[in-house]
Amino acid sequence: MKIKRLATIAMIVTAALSGCAIDNSKPDAAKPTVRIAYQADPRGDLVIKNSKWLEEALPDYNIKWTKFDSGADINTAFIAKQVDFGSLGSSPVARGLSAPLNIPYSVAFVLEVAGDNEALVARNGSGIESIADLKGKRVATPFASTAHYSLLAALAQNGVSASDVQLVDLQPQAILAAWERGDIAAAYSWLPTLDQLEKNGKVLITSRQLADTGKPTLVLGAVSNSFAKENPKVVDVWRQQQARALNEIKTDPDVAAKAIAAEIALSPDDVSQQLTKAVFLTPAQEASPEWLGTDGKPGNLADNLETVSQFLADQKQIPAPAPLSVFQNAIYTTGLPDVLTR
Amino acid sequence: MNRVQLETAGDSRNGSRVPFGWRGPLTRAGLPVLSLLAFFAIWQFAAASGVWNETFIPFPSTVWRAFIDLSTVHDGVRGYAGYLLWEHLYMTLRRVLAGVIIGVALGVLLGLIMGSIRWVRSIVEPWLTFLRTLPPLAYFFLLVIWLGIDEAPKVTLLALAALPPTAVATTAAVLAAPVALVEAARALGATRWDVVKDVVVPSALPETFTGVRLAVGMAYSSVVAAELFNGIPGVGGLVKDASNYNNTPVVLVGILAIGISGLIIDGLLRGIERRAAPWRGKV
Repeated sequence: MKIKRLATIAMIVTAALSGCAIDNSKPDAAKPTVRIAYQADPRGDLVIKNSKWLEEALPDYNIKWTKFDSGADINTAFIAKQVDFGSLGSSPVARGLSAPLNIPYSVAFVLEVAGDNEALVARNGSGIESIADLKGKRVATPFASTAHYSLLAALAQNGVSASDVQLVDLQPQAILAAWERGDIAAAYSWLPTLDQLEKNGKVLITSRQLADTGKPTLVLGAVSNSFAKENPKVVDVWRQQQARALNEIKTDPDVAAKAIAAEIALSPDDVSQQLTKAVFLTPAQEASPEWLGTDGKPGNLADNLETVSQFLADQKQIPAPAPLSVFQNAIYTTGLPDVLTR
Repeated sequence: MNRVQLETAGDSRNGSRVPFGWRGPLTRAGLPVLSLLAFFAIWQFAAASGVWNETFIPFPSTVWRAFIDLSTVHDGVRGYAGYLLWEHLYMTLRRVLAGVIIGVALGVLLGLIMGSIRWVRSIVEPWLTFLRTLPPLAYFFLLVIWLGIDEAPKVTLLALAALPPTAVATTAAVLAAPVALVEAARALGATRWDVVKDVVVPSALPETFTGVRLAVGMAYSSVVAAELFNGIPGVGGLVKDASNYNNTPVVLVGILAIGISGLIIDGLLRGIERRAAPWRGKV
């Protein structure tokens, strides 16, 4: 008798709770949904999200923004066919396009080129003056990130093998904790953690310097191939808004910073300072042979991704590098360059 | 669940209770093997059907190759991330052992005190319940800030996972000590310590053991959380790192390693339990 009553109560509660999940996005069931995966770092994505440009430009669609913590997670979401657009670093993209993942997505935009916002810093008092001094020391970085890639590239350039260094897998917040405690001698991380590290350390190399020597790390906008095929107009609008965000960051950095600051827990001043440290291309540069290229003629970005793939294979992170053609086919050039200015 | 398993284990020793003597052992050995075979068949079928991406459901053979790669030195690479599978497993087991010993020792002690002294129970119980309901992931970051990134936070986390189940089970067991026996011992002139040593502990032992087994399970299931930061070498760290690279075969090998070693450990504990408290269910 008692059990029966309990079971009834449990059933009613379950039914009641399943009906009232909290979701402020209020999707309209009649409209198709565009699902966008983003990361909470200061760049064009957040300007677009905060200013609701996509919602304005695509009134016939629901726009669903989902925050992810890493490119690896976004890759997983793409494999699961749960997102249509995503912003992720060049190393996750190169990994995703290579075997065994072979994720069917294309690169449609270069959102950011890492500059002085990512750097390798040695702790004061660790006695490290150059990258060669890192031998035998503990160096932390979030594994599978662009910073991890940059760290391995910096070590390789200086003739230090990754096995000579004690690499430690830590997320930026944990890097800060380990740094304060003196558990690590150096770290490759990004802003805002990087600011804190620089206060008590020496910058050994930045991603801007690595980019100058041919190892740039990028944040790319990827779109799922099946979505792009069915909704080319939406991809056009998305690229136009990304171009608009790039322009705003250039011409009106304070407004952009304010929009970004509303999305992440930073003050507008901190955001504008961070924006000056990263490199943002102009729409004209995007469609130049150096980056995306033009319709039917994929640019140098494909070569760049191939280098990354080769490097990941050397580091045994993927079984084998993918050929250049894979990356050339994976650059979404439809309508470039005119589509960006329309 | 524990009782049922123990009873079936008991049956094996006197086959007379099973109507057909040969059928018992055959079913016991045959059914698990059959279910395992069926599992592999369905797995192979699901992978071969091609409905799902290989990242979701890799072939059993791919996972087997990952297992071989993990256990050997191939193309100059040692296992995964520079360590062989057994080295990962050894480091994890070492952490679990250290954590469980600390957690269980403190838990039993706390349980004995809580069960014997009422006001201690009133003070400690809310804290224990609070700790018990916290998922380890929620406070692991604090442990990293306080204790660093080496062994200390990992062992502490596992000990914190193992402590509450032991303490709760021991408290309950001590409280359940038969009043008649306690009073009889008292009447025969036993001191308070004698009563605890000769009456309470023996009667509480079987249930405490159940608590210990639960504690080991709790600690084991917290392994991936404990090895979230700087977890390599370690199976939990291995699983986390491989999932960063969407490397499903390695993730599955790691999960199987954790699961199978967990089964073995639980079997060992059950064996010890049977020897240490053979009077279980007979008092």
